[in-house]
Amino acid sequence: MRRSSPGTPASGPPLSETVAERLADAMFALSTPSRVLILGCLLEGPRPVGDLTSLLGMEQSSVSHQLRVLRDHALVRAERVGRQRVYALHDEHVIALLQAGLRHVGEQGQAVTAADEDASSAS
Amino acid sequence: MSQRNTIDGAHDVTQAWFSPPADRRSLLDRAHRGDIVGALGRVRSADTGPRRRYRRRVAAFLAIMGPGVIVLAADNDAGGIATYAQAGQDYGLRFLWLLVVMAGVLLVNQEMVGRLGAVTGAGHARLIHERFGRRWGAFALGDLLILNFLVIVTEFIGVALSLGYFGVTRYISVPLAALALIAFPLAGRFRRWERAMYLLVAASFIAVPLLMLVHHSVHPIPAVAALGHRVPGSTVLMVVALAGTTVAPWQLFFQQSNVVDKRITARWLPYERADTVAGTLLFALGAVAILVTCALAFSATPLHGAFTDASTVASELRDRAGPWAGALFAMALLNGSLLGAAAVTLSSSYAIGDVTGTKHSLHRTWRDAPKFHGSYAALVVLAATIVLIPKAPLGIVTTGVQALAGVLLPSALVFLLLLCNDRAVLGPWVNSRWLNAIAASVVAVLLVLSGLLTISTLFPHAQTGGPHTAILVTAAGILGMLFGLRLPRHDTTATPDGDVPGKPIWTMPPIETLPAPLRSPARTIALVTLRAYLLLAATAIMIKIARLIAAS
Repeated sequence: MRRSSPGTPASGPPLSETVAERLADAMFALSTPSRVLILGCLLEGPRPVGDLTSLLGMEQSSVSHQLRVLRDHALVRAERVGRQRVYALHDEHVIALLQAGLRHVGEQGQAVTAADEDASSAS
Repeated sequence: MSQRNTIDGAHDVTQAWFSPPADRRSLLDRAHRGDIVGALGRVRSADTGPRRRYRRRVAAFLAIMGPGVIVLAADNDAGGIATYAQAGQDYGLRFLWLLVVMAGVLLVNQEMVGRLGAVTGAGHARLIHERFGRRWGAFALGDLLILNFLVIVTEFIGVALSLGYFGVTRYISVPLAALALIAFPLAGRFRRWERAMYLLVAASFIAVPLLMLVHHSVHPIPAVAALGHRVPGSTVLMVVALAGTTVAPWQLFFQQSNVVDKRITARWLPYERADTVAGTLLFALGAVAILVTCALAFSATPLHGAFTDASTVASELRDRAGPWAGALFAMALLNGSLLGAAAVTLSSSYAIGDVTGTKHSLHRTWRDAPKFHGSYAALVVLAATIVLIPKAPLGIVTTGVQALAGVLLPSALVFLLLLCNDRAVLGPWVNSRWLNAIAASVVAVLLVLSGLLTISTLFPHAQTGGPHTAILVTAAGILGMLFGLRLPRHDTTATPDGDVPGKPIWTMPPIETLPAPLRSPARTIALVTLRAYLLLAATAIMIKIARLIAAS
C-alpha cells in the first residue's frame, strides 16, 4: 500500500486505501439511528441488554442484533459480569469519536464525564 | 450521464436528476453499498438516469445479470442431474412436463426473493428473524444449515463419482475440488468470483452436445409413446424427489443475499427480473437435456427402470452411445457439482453473516471478513471429509436429501409468501393478487405432495398413485389459489397498488423501526400447523432412509 510522504503530492494520497476502507466501515456502523442511540446509552456507562431495551423501547432481538453489528466493527465490547453479559464502548477512541460527533451536530453529551470515569475505572 | 439524455425526454430527466439513488437503510455491511461491479460490466451507484437507448439497456442488463443466472444454473447440481437421469432412465419422458412446471415455480419464487433483496437490502434469514420472531428465525436458519450441509455432501459425492469415471480416486478429486471451492471467493473481489461462476455456468451447456450425440448414436430412436412405461417403484417418491431437487430453500436465501451483495437496488429490478428469466431458461435447457438424453438412451432396453446412481448412468451411456457420451455426462455432473457446492456453501455463509451481524460480502477479503470466509471454508472442508469416509451409503444420501428438501420447502415458501405481502417490508412492491394466487397454489400442491410421500413412507402398501392423487393435487392447487386471492395484504390503505410515484427508489425503512406485523389468528394457526406437519414429514423420511439403509 502507498505510504504518506508530506510535501510531495505526486506520491499519492496520504491515507492508504485500506485505511480509508476501515475508517469508512467504522463510520458505516454509525450510519443507522438505532445504533447511534445504543452507543449513546453506553456513553453513560456499561449496560446489559435488558437495560438498553427498556431505555430505548426497542425489541430485544433488534438490540442484540445491532450490538452484534457494533461488536463486529469494534465499537462495542461484551463482558461477562456474573451471569449477565454487559456491553461497553470498545475503548476511549469510541468515546472521543462519539463526543466529537455530538459536538459536530451541536449537541453536548450530558453524561460525558460519567462515561469518562467509567472508562478509567474499567481499565 | 451524457447530454443526450436531456434531449431524449425532458420529463424523465427532471425526475431522474433529482431522484437520489435508492439507499437501502437496513444494510449490515458497508460493502453492500456502492457501484454494481458485475463480471460483464459496471453500473455506478449515482447512475439514476433513464435508459432510453437499446444499447445502454443491454449494457446495464449485462452488468446486473448474475444472481438469477448463477442460482438457477446451480440448480442443475449433482442431486439434480442424478434425479433427472433417474426420471429419464426409469420413467422415460413421463416427467418431462413436470420440469416445465418446475421452471415456472422457480421463476415465481426467485423473482420474489430478488425483489425482497433489492427493496429491503436485508437477507432472507434476517427478514424471517425480524418479522416472524426469534424462534421461527432460528428454525428457518437451522433448516437451511442442516439441509445445506447435506446438499454440499451430495455435491462432493457428485465430484467423486464424475472424476471416478475418469479413473481419478476420490482421495485426490475431492480435496482438489474443496481447494478450488475455497479459492473462488477468496480474492475479495465480487467481479472475480462472478467470472469464475460464469465459467461454470457456460460449461453447463455440455448437456446440449450430450443430447445431440445420444440422439445421433441411438438406433432406432424409440417412439415417444414407448418412452413412458409403467415401472415398479413409487411414482410419488419420484415426483417429490424431482420437486425437491429443483426447488430448494438455499436458492431463496442465496439469490436474496447475492442481490444485496451485488448492490442491486429497486431501481434496477426490471433488469434483475430479466436475469431471473434468463436463469430459468438455462435451468430448463440443462434439466430437459439430461432427462431426454437418458430417456432416449435407455428406453426399450433392459436398463429401463434400473437406475442405480449417476456414475452407472455415465458408464451405461458409454456402452450405449460411445465413449464421448459417457465422458460428457461425467463432465456435466462434475460441473453441476462444483457450481452447486459453490452456491449452496455461499448461501450458508451469507445467512450466518446476516443473522450474526458480521461482515458478509464477496467484496471483502479473508482478513476483512474472517467469519464469512471462515464459515465457508469450514463447511467445505467438513463436507469433503465426510465423503472421504469409506463405505458410506452415498446413493441413498442423495435421494434422501432431495426428498427432505421437498418436505422442508413448503415452510420456506410460506415465509416467502407472507413476507411478500408484508406492506411494511415491501411497500409498493408487495405481491400482486395474481402472483399470490399462483404462489399459494404452488405451496398447497407441494404440501400435498409431501403429505403423500409421508403416507407412502409410513404405510408402504397404501395406494398413492393413480387418479386419486391427481384429484387431490388439483383440489389443493385450487384451494391454495383461493387462499392466495384472499390473503390479507397488510394495511392496504397506506400505499396504493401499482406504479406509485417514487416506487423505483422506495426502500424499506430501517428494519428495527418497522411496526410489528399484524398477528391474525389465522396466520398463527397456519404457521403452527405447518411446523407440526413438517416435523412429522421429516421424521417419516428419516424412517424411510433408515429402512433403505437397513435393507441394502
